[in-house]
Amino acid sequence: MKASYSIALIFMKSGAKLLSLLLAGTFLASCEKVVEVDLKDSEPKLVVEAEVSDRDTNHVVRISKTIPFTQTNEFNGISGAQVVLSLPGGQKITFSETEKGVYKSPRFAGVPGTNYVLDVTVEGKVYTASSTMPLAVKLDSLGFRKLSFFGEEVIVPLAYYKDPKDAKNQYLFRMKAKNEEVQESLTEDRFTNGNDVTETLFMDLEEELVEGDSLEVEMRGLDLNVYKYYFAIAQISGEGGPPVAPSNPTSNFNNGALGVFSAHTTSSLKTVVKLK
Amino acid sequence: MNQFKKVSVLILALLSFAGYGFAQNNFTISGVVKDSLSGETLIGATIKLKGARDHGTTTNAYGYYSLNVPKGEYQLTASYIGFRTLHQTLNLNKNTRLDLSLKADNALAEVVITSERRDHNVSSAQMGLAKLNMAEVENVPVLFGERDIIKTLQLLPGIKSAGEGNSGFYVRGGSIDHNLILLDEAPVYNASHLLGFFSTFNSDAIKDVAVYKGGMPAQYGGRLASVLDIRMNDGNQNDLGVEGGLGLISSRLKVEGPLVKDKSTFIISGRRTYADAFLKLAPDTSIRNNVLYFYDLNAKVNYRLNQNNTLYLSGYFGRDELGLNNTFGFDWGNSTATLRWNHLFNNRLFSNTSLIYSNYNYVIQSFIEQSDFKVKSAIQDLNLKQDFQYSLNQHNLRFGLDVIHHTIKPGRITASEASSVNDDQIQDRAGLEMAIYISDEWKVSDKLNITYGIRGSSFSALGPGDFRTYDQDGNTIATRNYNEGEIVKTYINPEPRISASYQLGKSSSLKASYTRNTQNLHLMSNSTSTSPTDLYVMNSNNIKPEIADQVAIGYFRNFKDDKYEFSAEVYYKGMSNQIEYRSGTDLRGNDNVEADLLYGDGRAYGVELFLKKRFGNLNGWVGYTLSRTERQFNDINGGSWFPSKQDRTHDLSLVGIYKASKRWTFSSTFVYNTGNAVTFPNGKYQLKGKTVFYYSERNADRLPDYHRLDLAATLEAKPGKKLQSSWSFGIYNLYNRQNTYTMDFRDDPDDATRTQAVRTTLFGIIPSVTWNFKF
Repeated sequence: MKASYSIALIFMKSGAKLLSLLLAGTFLASCEKVVEVDLKDSEPKLVVEAEVSDRDTNHVVRISKTIPFTQTNEFNGISGAQVVLSLPGGQKITFSETEKGVYKSPRFAGVPGTNYVLDVTVEGKVYTASSTMPLAVKLDSLGFRKLSFFGEEVIVPLAYYKDPKDAKNQYLFRMKAKNEEVQESLTEDRFTNGNDVTETLFMDLEEELVEGDSLEVEMRGLDLNVYKYYFAIAQISGEGGPPVAPSNPTSNFNNGALGVFSAHTTSSLKTVVKLK
Repeated sequence: MNQFKKVSVLILALLSFAGYGFAQNNFTISGVVKDSLSGETLIGATIKLKGARDHGTTTNAYGYYSLNVPKGEYQLTASYIGFRTLHQTLNLNKNTRLDLSLKADNALAEVVITSERRDHNVSSAQMGLAKLNMAEVENVPVLFGERDIIKTLQLLPGIKSAGEGNSGFYVRGGSIDHNLILLDEAPVYNASHLLGFFSTFNSDAIKDVAVYKGGMPAQYGGRLASVLDIRMNDGNQNDLGVEGGLGLISSRLKVEGPLVKDKSTFIISGRRTYADAFLKLAPDTSIRNNVLYFYDLNAKVNYRLNQNNTLYLSGYFGRDELGLNNTFGFDWGNSTATLRWNHLFNNRLFSNTSLIYSNYNYVIQSFIEQSDFKVKSAIQDLNLKQDFQYSLNQHNLRFGLDVIHHTIKPGRITASEASSVNDDQIQDRAGLEMAIYISDEWKVSDKLNITYGIRGSSFSALGPGDFRTYDQDGNTIATRNYNEGEIVKTYINPEPRISASYQLGKSSSLKASYTRNTQNLHLMSNSTSTSPTDLYVMNSNNIKPEIADQVAIGYFRNFKDDKYEFSAEVYYKGMSNQIEYRSGTDLRGNDNVEADLLYGDGRAYGVELFLKKRFGNLNGWVGYTLSRTERQFNDINGGSWFPSKQDRTHDLSLVGIYKASKRWTFSSTFVYNTGNAVTFPNGKYQLKGKTVFYYSERNADRLPDYHRLDLAATLEAKPGKKLQSSWSFGIYNLYNRQNTYTMDFRDDPDDATRTQAVRTTLFGIIPSVTWNFKF
């Protein structure tokens, strides 16, 4: 679906851009302006961002509270929480706080196919979430292709992988090019199930990719609930074309905590941009 | 079909008995009212008989009228706005056919008002009805100078624009899909072009526009909020005519005339935008290869077999095409066709049979190597309507039957062998909607008019397909497969409709109405505005018909010799089985969309004030609405009522049209409304290193108030030439108000530690010019 989804949305954006380009120059000026808006501040809400992957590492749970819109962006970490991960066999792994609001597990690798349950206790209240790590799908290789938008030739990365036929898969691609921040792209196998997939990874960079640039791509296999959570965020921020009415994404934590617990597989490749 | 036959025979039998029973000394006068110049039939012309007791009626959608009255001597007057009133004395002692031709009155030509009898607005039981005269549409200023009936309608109280420059509209708190838009009786599923900036209705081809905001007559059904009934021109009976216009955005051409003298006429009207023509001039091939345009084609032909039988065939075809340099393609559009047969069983019983086809579809294509695919999606209707109109003394009866077969094809995907994308198809859905109705427009006394009726509607969701049942969280509990044509679920709803007017004085009345409407097709919009890819779903085992009950009372008054018209209407509307979807639902290509739907209630109430000056060199109107629209869903906003996106507390429109001289007409509109209800963030947090916003209440915030002033001027060429031409000049948003289209929140691109609010404005001041011609 990602294919059609991202294309549809790029298309919508392009259509709108083309329209304004045409209708105007002269008189149509769709314009953006930064303005002051009086926003009501809510009570601080608890946010848990928890990840367990199949990589052998110290897995991280980040616990924080929301801050007012006008405040400087920062991680408003909460100390003194209890973080316990339960495995199906009854085994429990306790995370310990390494810095304010950041809790790390001892080193271990998550096992694909396992259902993990995470309990986070903050200020006497327990927040529980569960996530099943999907079976691993490997990112086979990376490639590049030239596409043309409005007379602008751009190089877009391609990700090659084999989607397993008998499972419903959701993927998150995290791309890091040059030294710019990580960009993400979500997809699922609804329309590509069981295929050798060529995924076009559209990126929105300050400066377009050129040959010789470095590119790092991480492919994650996501649990369906986690995928939906990320999808909702993307939808609200308008990354998928016209934005929808905003609301909080559905968290897999109970008791009203924001954030998400993701047990995922991961597969990364690093390469240098080169056209065939 | 058999059932239908039985019912109609029964009704006919009843009627003929009734006729014999108490109409022995009554005779019928009937006929068609036409424009003497073009021969176009006039819809809604008023026929009045003054005698021992007064009688009156208006012509129907085919210009036909019929009055059944006691024998005697009468003064007949036939009137239609912009036409000279015709007076005639007649002694009615037998059934009489009287076709009337009205002459356009040039002295009145600048009068831009409703096409009704001068005081029909007061005396008729109908309320919540607004009619547009096409002359209004021509003179009111619009964006880019593109005349647009829907944008003109948005200037009436109770009808609100869905957004800046948008041809979607909200009626009394309804959603866009709560409007039934009919073009020659065929439903038009997506009435907008170019992402909503233009409506699909080319005003050249249109004869009559009526919108019902409430008190819908029983012959209409299937939508909650309104009926927009648009009728196409039939074509000039007397002369071949060519008309057209060149505008900034598009050009139009219309050809009409007689095919067979006194028997048959035709009309063809087309419009095409040519923005992409400029693309061809671009130096860069990759720009030249982009495509962006839309077109509309309306065509109609009719054939009069004899005095009692006429056939009409009309069609509409419109499409938007977007293409990006051989990489992506996206096109969408409607096609409709209507075949109608008017038949007079006798001079009191008018019958119309319509066969209607309507299709809306879109196609998205990707031509990218290895990721190529094509998605097709469509909604299609096949519709049979049988409508009878029967006049009987002080009664006008209307009854009939309406059968629609709906098909929704949510998506069919095809791709080449080499593509990563699989061929796939989301299951089609089919439904059968049936309705029978009867209503009686009864002139109880000189003071009291009542229209009452009932519409019995049913909807059956049909197989083939898999139908699932869900638990509270949307997880599938069971799936059942149905065979082709097998009934999955049937919903039956009686829809009572009643409205009454009581004349208070010579020119004022009180009216009241109650209407129930149901809706079986529902539009899921995947954005805050409309998009061509919005998804239609129909009733199923999970989705129930939406129901709206509306009560309205109104005061109507004309003064200064009917020169001014005033009305005040108060309404309350309760809605059930409203539909929203859970956050994060992907509507595109989703074969399990019902899992993510939420059901709730809605309510809307308000006051609409309307004052119109109908005559003179200066005319126009003021419309004001004070209203509230809310929704309630258990899983949204903690179950509390919240303002819906249609909620606008104040909504004001001013329209002025001034005929300065024989050649110059000036017009101006001013609109003001409370900003849309929106959800702003109430906090923020960091997730995967990015800022995510926290929202506490749904639609608890407001965009800034919207207001705008537009001007237009029309210069007619000197009269007397064979080629008549005119220039229209317009200025949209004269004082360049920066109205907020969207308000977005994001990290400051220059300082990642800060977040900021960004206002997007769509249209600043925009001039336009159009040249129109006619010969």
